[in-house]
Formats: sequence, structure tokens, C-alpha cells
Amino acid sequence: MRVEYRPEELIVFEDVSKFYGEILGVNRINLTIEPGITSLVGPNGSGKTTLMNLMTGLIQPTRGEIRLLGIAPTDPEQLFRRVGYCGQFDSFPRGVTGYQFVNSFLRVHGYEKRQAEEKAWQAIERVDLVEAASRKVAGYSKGMRQRIRLAQSIAHEPQVMILDEPLNGLDPMARAETIRIFRELAREGMHLIISSHILHEVDTMSDRVVLINNGYILAEGGVTGVREEIEDHPMQVMIRCNLPRELAARVFAAPHVVEAQLHPDRQGLFVKTTDPDEFFLMMNRLAIESSVVIESVTPVDDDLAAVYHYLIGSSGGGEV
Amino acid sequence: MIFAKIKTSLIGLTSVDRASLSLWRCQILAILRIELSKNFWGRRAMLLYLLALVPVVILFLLAIVDPDGASDISRDWNSSQQAFVNIFDALILRSVVFFGSTWIFMNLFRGEVVDRSLHYYFLAPLRREVLVAAKYIAGMVAAAVLFSFSTLGSIFFLYYARGYPANIDFLLDGGGWQQILAYEAITLLACLGYGAIFMFIGLFFRNPIIPGLVVYGWEWINFLLPPLLKKISIIHYLESHLPIPVDEGPFATIVAPTAVWISVPSLLIFTGLVLTLTAIRIRRMEIRYGME
Amino acid sequence: MAVYEHHYKPYTGPLSKAWSRFLVIPRYAYEDLFQLRFFIALYALSFVAPLIFTILIYLHHNVTALAVFQMDVASLIPVNGTFFEIFISLQLALAFLMTVIIGPVLISRDLANNGLPLYLCRPFTRTEYILGKMAVLGLLLSSFTWVPGLLLFLFQGYLAGGGWMIDNWWIGGAILAVCWTQIILLSMLAMAFSAWLKWRTAASAALFAIFIIPTPIGLAIEEIFRTRLGHLFNPGMAIAQLTRHLFRTFGSTEYILSFGESWLVCLGYALVALWMLSRKLRAYEVIS
Repeated sequence: MRVEYRPEELIVFEDVSKFYGEILGVNRINLTIEPGITSLVGPNGSGKTTLMNLMTGLIQPTRGEIRLLGIAPTDPEQLFRRVGYCGQFDSFPRGVTGYQFVNSFLRVHGYEKRQAEEKAWQAIERVDLVEAASRKVAGYSKGMRQRIRLAQSIAHEPQVMILDEPLNGLDPMARAETIRIFRELAREGMHLIISSHILHEVDTMSDRVVLINNGYILAEGGVTGVREEIEDHPMQVMIRCNLPRELAARVFAAPHVVEAQLHPDRQGLFVKTTDPDEFFLMMNRLAIESSVVIESVTPVDDDLAAVYHYLIGSSGGGEV
Repeated sequence: MIFAKIKTSLIGLTSVDRASLSLWRCQILAILRIELSKNFWGRRAMLLYLLALVPVVILFLLAIVDPDGASDISRDWNSSQQAFVNIFDALILRSVVFFGSTWIFMNLFRGEVVDRSLHYYFLAPLRREVLVAAKYIAGMVAAAVLFSFSTLGSIFFLYYARGYPANIDFLLDGGGWQQILAYEAITLLACLGYGAIFMFIGLFFRNPIIPGLVVYGWEWINFLLPPLLKKISIIHYLESHLPIPVDEGPFATIVAPTAVWISVPSLLIFTGLVLTLTAIRIRRMEIRYGME
Repeated sequence: MAVYEHHYKPYTGPLSKAWSRFLVIPRYAYEDLFQLRFFIALYALSFVAPLIFTILIYLHHNVTALAVFQMDVASLIPVNGTFFEIFISLQLALAFLMTVIIGPVLISRDLANNGLPLYLCRPFTRTEYILGKMAVLGLLLSSFTWVPGLLLFLFQGYLAGGGWMIDNWWIGGAILAVCWTQIILLSMLAMAFSAWLKWRTAASAALFAIFIIPTPIGLAIEEIFRTRLGHLFNPGMAIAQLTRHLFRTFGSTEYILSFGESWLVCLGYALVALWMLSRKLRAYEVIS
């Protein structure tokens, strides 16, 4: 059953466009992000960061309206009590230690000295940087810098966390550690919006994905939902068999098959169909009636990576 | 009934405003702590210390190192005072305070954009107008402390060179206190006015050096300008309050000094207007470091 | 064991001459520069004075024009050392402004983007790199300082006829010496600040300050200590004094810095700039 959310629980983009001079940032975005973990997925330059910067008021839309939990990004006083943003900018105020960095901005939030200290240490502990907290941030490794920025953005215990490419450039251990923190935060009821182009990691932790390319939203929803949304597009299926050429000739005769391509190892073929149901029925018939021995029929784009490659790889130079 | 409603709403409004004011005060103090440590202890502050020390060192050399200079001062106190006012005008006001304020106030926002750290403020629950106010106050405190010290240090060595007890007599009975206060007040007013202008320029222009040059040129040619244009400058109002009129040279346009009760409020109103424009500008400001 | 077939070969085609390799830098710098409208406007403005001064020289020698204006232009604006000094001073002021705009990004961008090792890992020395960067300013500033200055000098010589050029050869020498001194000094200082200050505005401000702030300091020292020694730290004053010495526009004793002192100041600043450059320009990154 679909849960109905109130506007003050949602992040809403209404016909939002952003142009940098003559360059398109994002165009005509209509998007509603519900609580949970939402991933923005798209290649570099697709508009993910623009969307996140728009949400947090770091840039302003050329057109349209944005509301986060019912608050406009132009009202930082209200917004950033409930929202935290860990952007991609790998830079810090000059000469600060990890602790000073987190603590000083908590004071800017308006927290009293003791309260700020307490919250700063909690956040630093959470990202496991207690030992390095008194060292200058300039001497941190990339992973540590990422974590201290995360600590700074969660220290005031926001309801919504926006994270721009938080896994970018991290080594596998730091990446696993960061994902652990995200999962923990999500378990505690925080809403996370994460942008990434590292698909397999987002795939496993997201409740839903938003696919974006060239400033346009291509699809949104759960992985399965995204597939439904793109059902107008052909589905790709891999068939393992002993006579792939013969099978290709047979299936290509069907009107719903738009492409058939031999597998490089000559032991199978890829087929694209616009009507999966009809296609699977046809495969059943062929398995019984023809001399071709079919070992397996596997949809290749059931996971997010496939959907992503289908939608973005073709225009982004990837392979299908 | 209506009055009761109005009263209730006014009480409500007052309590909200009080909460906001208290929050803004806390936030301003927090920003002051961050900014002052940058302004006083950051690497960029080194230049300011050097600049502020220049007039002090010159007068120190005169008073302590050069015995002829010191004896000249004690012999011809009036000429020395005239010489000092020229130095105060050309070196302290037009150079040290002008360039020092340029450095401090342009750095407040433009420096953060260069360091790519301004977004941390923009991502805090902080009204951008409060940020402008806090940064301006931080800049003012730094400028006021450094350049007041510069002025005071220079005057100290000038008085020291005059020798005891003539210097103390002049200080207490000869109008010395009033002079010191006037010089200090002019220094502070200069920081106030130039500070607002350069913070505004630093926020509006990616390369603020050209507008900075224009302001410098305008202030520099002020002595040549016709009376009306002369009054569209900060230096005119500052020079109006010098305890001894400065000699502007043979080509200067002579204009009567503006009275204190006009010039000080005018400078304050001007500063307020520039800060308001800055606050309006910052509301629309976007973080696009890639453009730098 | 894997055996790889090598298909690549080193480049064997013709190479540009080693002596002219540094010109690659200005070539690409100008491509970027001439896309800026503000720069183009300023550059166009720098040719206004040459035009006006050409007209003045022409009027000076054109009897018909003099009759039309019914004025004695020849005695009103004599074409002598002062005439060329004013022209060169105007052009050098524009050169300074242009250096303040262009100079600060000359090296800072390469340093900020770790581009220096890319230059220096090729057959390209530090000296060639500095020469190349210097040529960006040198060629550009030359185009509207000494080049039109000498053309004006030749134009005047042609119109004046007789032995004017022989009698006034020193004006041509002064044009070259003053312009090249300022161009070299400005380029060196601009590059030094560009290498030390990553913020373009700070580098511009430093360049501006080094020519402006020493003046009031020098004046204050002069006022207090009654000595001209304070001006020994003022490159702007040194250039101004050198100009007056070379164009022979001084009376007998009115100068602030002598000819030798002026050269010394310029040389001192150039050496400091060179030292600053040698400290920063390295083919490797220094992590502190």
C-alpha cells in the first residue's frame, strides 16, 4: 500500500530549471522526493550537484519553485535547522582542526558553548575521528576529510541529509565505513539524498533512485518502478543456446524484437524486445518446436546498473 | 476586544523578535570568533601588521634613533604638528587605512570564495543579512584595533620626541587629548566608510582590483575636484575633522570643511546604505566556485 | 611470460627551433586574452594617444593646417624631449594598468593546476618558461609603448627633415631605455607576485601597492628626516625619475633620485623578483 505523505515531509521540485548563462544545468524538473534513502544517479555533468545546490539554496533556480519539508531554500534560518548538506567541495576554512571545524559552525547555528561541544564530539565520534579531531584538517587524508565534513553536516542532527558524491574518491575501506554510517543514519529515521555514479553501492542501499542525464530526469522510483516507467523502451534479454545465429534469425522475424546481437563468445545472443510478455511466450514455443537448445533466458537489465547503462550509457558513450 | 488582540499579537511579536535577536547575537558572536582569529592570526594578517607598523616605525626612528629629528620637533612644535598632519593624511589615512581596509574587507567574502569555504556559512541556519553584519563587525574590529594602534603609536612617538615635560603639558593643557581623540575618531570613521565600500566591492566583483583602483583614484584626485564633487568622497569628510588643516598643495580647490554634525551622520548613513545594498546582494548570491 | 608488441615509435618529424620554443606560451596566452572584451577595449584605448600625438606632430609641420587654426601650434606644443616624455608616460601608465590585469594570472594558474611539471618535463627549461611568460607581457606592452614611440620619433624626423634625428638621437634611445626598463620590471614583479600569491586579486593588489605605497612612505621619511633616501624603495619613483633623466627634462638640481640611484632601485627590484621566481618555480611539488 502506498503511503501518503504530507507536503511538509517531502522535497518538491515544481517545474524547476537552472541555466548558467547559456548552459543548461537542469531543465523542467518536476520531482517529489519522499522520506527514506533516495539516490540521484547520473554521469558527471548530468545535473546532480545542480539539483542538490538548488535544494540547499546555494544556487537559485532560473524558473520554478522548490520546497524542502515545506520550507523554501531562500529561508536558511528555518531550512538548515532540519537539513544538512555535505557537498563536494573538498575545502575548509584556513587552519582549523577537525574539532574546531565542527564546533565553530555549531556555534554559528546558535548552540551554547557546552551544547555545541557535546554535539561536536558526538558527531566526531560517530564518524570515528576522535583521535584525529585535534589535528589540522589540512593534514587529513581524503577519507578523513570526507568524514569530518560528514560530521559537520550531521552534528546539528538534521532530519534530511543531502550528500553529494560522498563516496567519490574513497578507498574501499573508507567507502564501506561511509556506507555503514549512512545505513545507520537511515535506520535512525533520517532522510538521505545521495548522489553518486557508483551504481552498485547506491543500488543496494537506496529505497528509490532518480536517474538524471543532461539536466533531465529520465526516470524515478524503485528499481522495479523505474523499469515500469521505461517500458516504452525495449528490454534486453540474453539467451544462452547452441545455435545463436539460427535463433537470431527466428526471433528477429517477430515484430516486437527490435535488435538481435550475437554474444562475443558465439554461445548466445542479446535480444531487445518492446513486448517482454510476448517475447517470453515466443521463447517457450521455440524451445519446444525448434532444434535450438536453449540453456537460459536472462533479462540483463533488472538491476540498476543495467537500467542506468540503458538510459545513460547510450547517450553518454557507454555500451549496451 | 480589538485592543486586546493587538496587545496579544504585539506580545507575541516581541517574544519572537527577542528570540530572533538573541539568536542573531549568538550567531554574530560565533562568526566574530571565527573571523577575528582569521583577521588577527591568519597568514593574510601578516601584511596588515606590516602595513600598520610602517608609520609607527618611521616615527619611532625619528624619536629614538635620530637625535636631530627629535630636537627639531621639540624646537619647532607647530611645524612638527603640521608635518604630522601631512603624514597622517598621506600615509596613515590614504595609504595604511585605505589599503588595510581594502585587504581586510575584500577578504571577508572574496577571500572565502577563493578558499572555497563560504558555503559553510550559507549552509548554516543563518540569515545572510546577519552574516553580512557579523563579517562587517569582524572586519571593523580588526581594522579599528590595528589602525588605531598605528595612529596612536605614531602620535606617541611624536609626543615622546618633544620631550618631557613639554609633551605632558601639551597633552593635558594644550589640547593634546582633543587632538588624539580627533585623530583616532578619523581613523575609525575611515575604517567604517572604506570598510563598507570594500566589502560591497568584494561581494559584487570577481576581480575587485579595478573598482578598488577607481575608488583610490577618486579619493586621490579629491583635492582637484570642484566643491560639489569633492563632497562625494570619504576623504573630504575625514579631512574636515583634522585638528590642523592639511596642506593640499597649490592646485587644490578650497572648500570649507563640513561640520561634524553633518559629516559624521552622513558617513554613518552612507555606511548603512552600502551595507544594506550588500545585504540585498548577498541574498541573491550563488556559490559557484568554478567561476573563480 | 607476456610479450607485448610495441607499435609506438618516438616522434621523428621536424621540431620547432629551440630558441623560439618559448614563444609557444605567448601564442596561447594571446588566444585567451583576445577573447576578453574588456581587454580588447583597453588595448584599443592604448592606441588613442599614439593617434593624437601623430596628429599633433602632423599639425606641427603642416603650414596650411596652422593657418586654418590661426594658432602657432609649433610653439604651443614643441616636439622635444618633454613631448615624447608625456607620450611615453601616458603609454606606460596604460601598460601598468594592463599588467595589473594580465600579470597576476601568468603563473598562478599553472601553479594552482600543477601545470608546471607538464612544462618542465619537456625539453623546456625554467629560463625558457620565464622568458615565455615574460614575452606575454613584453610583446603586448611593446606594441603600444616603444613601438609607436619610435614610429612617432621617425615620423617627426621625417617631417622635420635636416639633421633633427641626428641632433635628437637621444630621444629615440630614451624611448627604448625607459620602455624596456619598465616592461622588464613590471613583467618580473607581476610574475613574482603571480607565483607567490594564488589569489589573483591579491597579486594585482600587491603589484599596485608596490608602486603606490612607497610614495607616501618616502614622502613621510622626507618630511621627517629631510632625506630622499625613503624614495630608494619606490620603483614607481625610480621609473619616473629615470624617465626625466633620460628625456632630459630636469633642471640642474631638482631631481629626487639620481640617474644611478634610479637604475639601482629598478635593478634591485628586478633581482628580488627573480629570486622570488626561482624560489617558486620548480618542476616538483613541495608539500608542507
